Amino acid sequence: MLNISLRAETIFYIGTWPVTNAVLLAFIAVILLTVIAVTLRKKLAMAPGMLQNVVEVVVESSLGFMDDVFGSRDRSEKYFPLVFTIFIFVITSNYLGLLPGVSSITLGHGADAIPLLRSPASDLNFTLAIALIAVTMVNVFSAAIVGIRDRVGVFFNIKGPIQFFVGLLELLSEFARIISFTFRLFGNVFAGEVLLAIMALLVPYLIPLPFMFLELFVGFIQAFIFAMLTLVFIQLAVTPHEGEEAGH
Amino acid sequence: MQQLLSQLGINWELLISQAVNFALLLIILRIFVYKPLLKLLRDRRARIEEGLMKADEADRRLHEVDLLGKEKMKEAESKAIAILKKTEGDAKELEARLLGEIKRKEGEESALAAARLKAQEEESRRAMEKEAAALVRAALVRTVELAPEKIDDALIARAVKESQA
Repeated sequence: MLNISLRAETIFYIGTWPVTNAVLLAFIAVILLTVIAVTLRKKLAMAPGMLQNVVEVVVESSLGFMDDVFGSRDRSEKYFPLVFTIFIFVITSNYLGLLPGVSSITLGHGADAIPLLRSPASDLNFTLAIALIAVTMVNVFSAAIVGIRDRVGVFFNIKGPIQFFVGLLELLSEFARIISFTFRLFGNVFAGEVLLAIMALLVPYLIPLPFMFLELFVGFIQAFIFAMLTLVFIQLAVTPHEGEEAGH
Repeated sequence: MQQLLSQLGINWELLISQAVNFALLLIILRIFVYKPLLKLLRDRRARIEEGLMKADEADRRLHEVDLLGKEKMKEAESKAIAILKKTEGDAKELEARLLGEIKRKEGEESALAAARLKAQEEESRRAMEKEAAALVRAALVRTVELAPEKIDDALIARAVKESQA
């Protein structure tokens, strides 16, 4: 029986604090990445081993990519942790959500059965939390560069009616960013999950396989887009506009 | 609004849980991966740059040393040639001086020898004269003592014998 739910299901409580299947899988992703990180830290050496080589290639390519956007290695290294953590967290969550057992291992039976694990990005809380963090950090980084007053001045400008209106549009665009971040990732992953579930229900053998590959691609692309947009927003926010720069 | 959020499953507790998950991962990765790995990459890059710089410096110095060696060799060669020329000149000068000295000494020696020979000849001549005088005197004495008829023959024979001696 196909059970599609927009909301993540609560599987247990810590005190009164609910823990959903999406939160649990996100936590498993954190644990997995922590284990890899600790293992890497222990094996970190000037002459790299296999794991370190792979990580170095990924990190160096990402930094090179960021260098193209920022035009400076120092800036890339400064904003790298946030951007790369978004990418690695989203992609790990997406790929863990594709593993056999996720969504299919359930607690309970029949109509009350709820999946033990659920792809974190198919829960709006996950995508919204990361979107909020990304947009907040973009503003924090910007405030650190141009100053809090100037950053707030971008949204609340009373120098004239046009500036005031532009400020309101800027403020609105920040919320639009949060919403687009949230629903883009959620929509793609949730749609993928639904697609896979339907395909598995209709034709359980072979036919879902191309869709699995499609979801692997979508999982990567969505993580990349999320990180890329964060990167571009940071770049826009920390680079003063020409008119503003002249005013400082 | 509340109903919409509820229908979408958005719950502030779950939102915080996911935000904490992300923050936790960010902190862990920052401590265990980003900081040490970026430092290592920076260090490695610095070491590679330093190594390349040192290699360039070593090449440059090697070239300089090579040039210096060649220069020194040339200098040593020219010095050696100058020393050889000087030695040759000195040797020639010494040879000429020694030859002059030898010639002078030879001259002196030959003059001395000639003088000595002359003196010896003079002395021999004097001795011969003295001896001849004595012989003549002795002959005269004998002649006076002997009979005149015997004297002539004996005197002649004796004179011949003595002159041969």
